[in-house]
Amino acid sequence: MLSHLRGTFCVLSAGVQRAWSSSSCLFMDPSSPGLVLQSQSTDVFQNLALEDWIDAHVDLQQRSVLLLWRNRPTVVIGRHQNPWAECNLPAMRSAQVPVARRRSGGGTVYHDLGNLNLTFFASKKAYDRRRNLKVVTDALRRVRPQLDIQATDRLDILLNGHYKISGTASRLSRKSSYHHCTLLHSADRSAIAVLLRPSCPGIRSNATPSIPSPVANLSDHAPSLQWEELLEAVVQQYSSEFGLTSSSQCVDPADEALFPGVGSMEAELRSWEWTFGKTPKFSVETQLELRDERPAARCSAQLQLEVKNGRVESCRVEVPATWLPERLSASLAQALLGERFCPHRAAAALSALLRCESGPLHSRLHNLCDVLVAAMG
Amino acid sequence: MYNFIMLLNNRLIIIYLFFNQLIMFYRLLADYYLWVLNTISFGNGKLFALSPLQPENLVYPTQLPRLLPAPSLSHRCDRSSSSADRLLSHSYHVIPFPVSHQEFRPLPLCHPPVLSACHPTTLNNNVPYNPRSSVFQVQYFRTSVAYRDEVITVKTPAFAESVTEGDVRWEKAVGDSVSEDEVVCEIETDKTSVQVPSPAAGVIEELLVPDGGKVEGGTPLFKLKKGAGAAKAPESPKAAAAPSPPSAAPTPPPPPSTVEPIPTTMPPVPPVPAHAMDTKPVSAIKPTAAPAAPAAHAEGGAKAARTESRVKMNRMRLRIAQRLKEAQNTCAMLTTFNEVDMSNISEMRKAYKDAFLKKHNIKLGFMSAFVKAAAYALVDQPAVNAVIDDTTKEIVYRDYVDISVAVATPKGLVVPVIRNVEEMNFTDIEKAINLLGEKARKNELAVEDMDGGTFTISNGGVFGSLFGTPIINPPQSAILGMHGIFDRPVAVGGKVEIRPMMYVALTYDHRLIDGREAVTFLRKIKSVVEDPRVLLLDM
Repeated sequence: MLSHLRGTFCVLSAGVQRAWSSSSCLFMDPSSPGLVLQSQSTDVFQNLALEDWIDAHVDLQQRSVLLLWRNRPTVVIGRHQNPWAECNLPAMRSAQVPVARRRSGGGTVYHDLGNLNLTFFASKKAYDRRRNLKVVTDALRRVRPQLDIQATDRLDILLNGHYKISGTASRLSRKSSYHHCTLLHSADRSAIAVLLRPSCPGIRSNATPSIPSPVANLSDHAPSLQWEELLEAVVQQYSSEFGLTSSSQCVDPADEALFPGVGSMEAELRSWEWTFGKTPKFSVETQLELRDERPAARCSAQLQLEVKNGRVESCRVEVPATWLPERLSASLAQALLGERFCPHRAAAALSALLRCESGPLHSRLHNLCDVLVAAMG
Repeated sequence: MYNFIMLLNNRLIIIYLFFNQLIMFYRLLADYYLWVLNTISFGNGKLFALSPLQPENLVYPTQLPRLLPAPSLSHRCDRSSSSADRLLSHSYHVIPFPVSHQEFRPLPLCHPPVLSACHPTTLNNNVPYNPRSSVFQVQYFRTSVAYRDEVITVKTPAFAESVTEGDVRWEKAVGDSVSEDEVVCEIETDKTSVQVPSPAAGVIEELLVPDGGKVEGGTPLFKLKKGAGAAKAPESPKAAAAPSPPSAAPTPPPPPSTVEPIPTTMPPVPPVPAHAMDTKPVSAIKPTAAPAAPAAHAEGGAKAARTESRVKMNRMRLRIAQRLKEAQNTCAMLTTFNEVDMSNISEMRKAYKDAFLKKHNIKLGFMSAFVKAAAYALVDQPAVNAVIDDTTKEIVYRDYVDISVAVATPKGLVVPVIRNVEEMNFTDIEKAINLLGEKARKNELAVEDMDGGTFTISNGGVFGSLFGTPIINPPQSAILGMHGIFDRPVAVGGKVEIRPMMYVALTYDHRLIDGREAVTFLRKIKSVVEDPRVLLLDM
């Protein structure tokens, strides 16, 4: 069903699709005060790069733009959040779900093909988030009047007064602004529960926290509501609210001719430096449980890490001296300094240390390394 | 009588002309005096740029403008620009002065005196200023006494939609130089991220709110020292070497500030990196470019900067360096060589590679042959598979063979291990190498993948090495180095033939392995690779 949806994503029931050869004819059409675009791509980085491109390059003083997009399963964190605290990175790695950091603030969301994203671009003066949400709530009320849809003070949209179906985030640049929100149509809620939990214990940071709320899909409460119908309703409501005449256009965010420079924006959003390196400073304090196979013994150690810009700034491992000699735990801590806070990098760094030891110390050190790497998520 | 009057008239005309010239000359002096006052006056402290295009490359005439001789009347119609050009073309010495040209716009610009005699009747201040006129080739710069130390405090902008407070997230730090409108920090308010740009170019002096601290609209955020980063801009030498200024100003010479004294000693020869550091990737992995020193300093500003750049050593590199030196100090390392005729194994590979690819979905390379040969030889010579335990002074013999294959990745050398090679055949070995290569490329190697190993193989041949001595990877006792395959004339059966030959090197710890064992070991590898049937027959 999802592949069917993907195939028909760009088919509109009405309106003509024109092939745009350059961005100037797309955006400089003076007749309409606004534009509705649909992204053909389901890659989160391409879509986020398209958002940035429109924010940076389109003159929004006289017109506004609405961008509709959706992504393959991804976790998207807010600009100032901590990915290790917000999402379960090892589970995501095994499920092949990438993590992306967007440029607007707010909390963490799980995107997949059953989740519609809407971005409202406007000039700073015309920045009105309630009006944008009114577009969405009015559209929903028009197609399914029996549903109880309310927008709250925190700019969420609640279904039946309790379930959150939409969350909001926005960004104010120097002259322009954008406000985007999600809309849960038929997302995978079990994945949300599994993936949106901390990767490693003991994280303490002042990054923006996410506020978890119970979520629901529109399709659960209105099973007859199809994706295309929802899309059409939103586009129509936006057109009538903002006085547009033309219908929506399909665009490919990877098209360099239409959006020159979008490729480099996408590359920046994919980079480790942006996704993890922009994390505000945080510290990890946890206890490690160590055990030795022969003889069967166990002990516990303290781990304290300070991570800045995604790299380990300071590290202390307190292991009882009877378990491992001081010099080994000191050199272990030393080995991690300056490395990225990533289990693979840590593994590579620690294995170089391991190669020097042998005998009973080796197995204990190996165990400590394993536990340490596991604690990093 | 008439003749006398004519003579008098002539003389009067001459005297009139003479005085005219004198007046022009004095006017010229007056002009020059005014110009000097304008340019060097400290009361105003202002010099004006007339050519806003290249504010960095400003011409400061170091010679006094030459007073032109009184021109003859025939030159009256000459374009004044030509003499100005000639004048300015004599000033070759340029000191670039990076000043933001935007500061010049609101100031009233004074028309500088035209240093030629072709405007005898115009006063300076009456000629309207025309920046596009080709007369004004002189560029001035500001000695901003008044602006030099100005520090401004930037406040939080007002929040939209009745939001009261937000968190500050700093993008820049104290001491960073920012340009106008560059984002200094972002304020997060209620799911919104608001950018705070810098109002002017300068250097950030102080951050008044900690990272993550709460601010309200109007709270002072940071202090900015204006000045376009004049004091600290390291790009000024680069900017000077940047595209040369247009029009009459000559090409600027290298800025004098970065001229270094001529070095009297040779720069130190960089140490030759140990062989293991240069080891090449496994066949499946493409070699990635080594993290070189920042190339920015190598190019651009060609004749200008001879700067150094310091890059902190990677942690991994530091540790590997330490281990290698320890290995060198404890082991008695020496190397023995041999050469291998690769014609048989190449032929085997050529004959079977397509079928192999079809059946197993991976490529058949040479590494599997060498790995298997090494395993066979290690089983045959257990001393090479053993290791000395320095703490207990024991020799540890192992009956399993774990071969580490040295792989170069962007973050340094990693040595993943293939376990129990003595039980594997060529296919299993290729599969294992492939799997490890994939993991290494995706940065997914776990501790278990890299721990242990009784013997190492490193392949220098991918980069074309002919001959070399690998360095032992502690805590092992030997390492096999493979080099490039080159066609060479060799003696085969009394005749000279061209064969693809590869040099192999075995570095071993002489404390444990004797010369005879090492050479026998290497010869065994050679015999297996030259004729894989040896494996079947267990020769």
